[in-house]
Amino acid sequence: MRTRIRGAIVACGAAVGLAVASLAVLPTASGQSSATYKAPRSAFKDGKPDLNGIWQANNTANWDIQGHAARQGPILELGAAFSVPAGLGVVEGDDIPYQPWAAAKKKENAANWLKLDPEIKCYMPGVPRATYMPFPFQIVQTPTHILMAYEFASASRTIYMNSKDESPADTWMGWSRGRWEGDTLVVDVNAFNGETWFDRAGNFHSDALHVVERYTPVSRDVLQYDVTIEDPKVFTRPWKMSMPLYRRVEKNAQLLEYKCVEFVEELMYGHLRKKTK
Amino acid sequence: MAIYEKKPSNFSAAFAFAIVALATATVSGQARNTHDRAQPRTPWGDPDVQGVWSIATITPFERPSALAGKEVLTELEAAELEKTNLTTNNQDRRDGAGTDADVARAYNDFWWDRGTKVVPTRQTSLVVDPPDGRVPALTPEGQKRAADRAARGYDSWEDRSLWERCITRGLPMIPGPYNNNYQILQTPGYVVILHEMIHDARIIPLDGRPHVGQNIRQWFGDSRGRWEGNTLVVDTKNFTDKVSFRGSTKNLHLIERFTRIDRDTVNYEFTIDDPATFTKKWTAAIPMTNTDELIYEYACHEGNYGMVNLLSGARVQEKAAEGGDPAP
Repeated sequence: MRTRIRGAIVACGAAVGLAVASLAVLPTASGQSSATYKAPRSAFKDGKPDLNGIWQANNTANWDIQGHAARQGPILELGAAFSVPAGLGVVEGDDIPYQPWAAAKKKENAANWLKLDPEIKCYMPGVPRATYMPFPFQIVQTPTHILMAYEFASASRTIYMNSKDESPADTWMGWSRGRWEGDTLVVDVNAFNGETWFDRAGNFHSDALHVVERYTPVSRDVLQYDVTIEDPKVFTRPWKMSMPLYRRVEKNAQLLEYKCVEFVEELMYGHLRKKTK
Repeated sequence: MAIYEKKPSNFSAAFAFAIVALATATVSGQARNTHDRAQPRTPWGDPDVQGVWSIATITPFERPSALAGKEVLTELEAAELEKTNLTTNNQDRRDGAGTDADVARAYNDFWWDRGTKVVPTRQTSLVVDPPDGRVPALTPEGQKRAADRAARGYDSWEDRSLWERCITRGLPMIPGPYNNNYQILQTPGYVVILHEMIHDARIIPLDGRPHVGQNIRQWFGDSRGRWEGNTLVVDTKNFTDKVSFRGSTKNLHLIERFTRIDRDTVNYEFTIDDPATFTKKWTAAIPMTNTDELIYEYACHEGNYGMVNLLSGARVQEKAAEGGDPAP
């Protein structure tokens, strides 16, 4: 509370400057913005904001990162329970600049979603998709390592702070190197294997994917998440997504297991099961 | 923080001691001992067990019968064992071409990380209690479950182990043939253990909250931690009956203790309490040794060609046995 009041006073004192600056800052549900909010500092006493906690997106980006109307789901019997909820989209300008061949492939992916989406096989979801799947994830922050632990498939990745090390191999979750820009955690992610997707609508990338994520605390319980996507093999220019991430504020919040391998074994190996006579 | 100079000279350690002592006295004035060389602490005062640790060792889990009655190896015996092991564990040997033993060396030494040393205590087994270094006898119920488990075939993935299915290596942490590295991270209220094997991040709350409800059963159970002096004690319950450690049931109560005994070592002890399976509680002790290695992504399920090949092979063999196409 005290922080908020102090922020308001600063805002009055610099009203003219902030009026311009606020155009570049996304407002949040609480009406605060990164320009006025000062997050608590890390217990490591390194002066950095404390991003520890369990976070979750609350949108339908995992269905389709672009704007979409509700539609019937793929399994007739599941009816209204598992149909597709609408969403305004999280892509800046709602436009993904695919190269012509890639736009065709995106359509093909969408048409063959059940067969091709790596999520269906419980594969690690990659970045940024892991962030906005309908599961919580936990940030475990130290000055040198920040662990992102995702509930889906028990996927995880380590962000190496201020590191110049390169990944020795391509990966599903990418190779993450972080730095602080003011109170924003900026994460540079590369070394992807090109096997992951952005959503269930067939939006995809190649192994040339380069992701820059920005996590900015904008209130006690909200992180603003801004992502730049670059992949010269698939897109004609870099493009952006953004969304708020909300803290799971339940006192007893904890990640539970979603070890989905056992849910997909019949689907993946069922044809190899011994047939009983 | 967890970055320490390894084995500093007495002089530099004493110097660091003086600096830290001064800083503590002037800045916080707290009475807490934050400058104990053997027991580094986090800025908020918990013992600091952070770092990347390996549990690779050639010390056997149970004491071999040849060493019955012997709890500790002499230095000479340990050196002999380490030397012999280099030969027996050598996967780059190419003698015996065409034999199963040679085929089993298809993964050459590059892929293995079994360790080359016995544990520093030179104890003859990782099991330390009971004193004979052997897992206690199974209860009749435990014996029955063990027999059922042994009947493994190739009819489906369900006959195969959780490792082969890429679900989890599970708990407790025991040395394996590879991926023996674990990273411990700490934040106020949590200790987190990142297992390289199948990228499991085990998040342990320290805030005294109760276990989750009885209906929530998990592969890693549900862990709660607390500090007892310099030892992190972790209680884990709520296991699913789909996971089993040496025959344990879903009612297994796993008690783990982590104690940093010097800069390069965290002593890891676990106690298995499952009266339906074992006739008494038992305990193993495994040193975790600091390593400069990083934890890498272990994408197991994503590349599980082994499962497809194993099941396909079994189906081809069956067909051949039925007098169909001969096995290739």
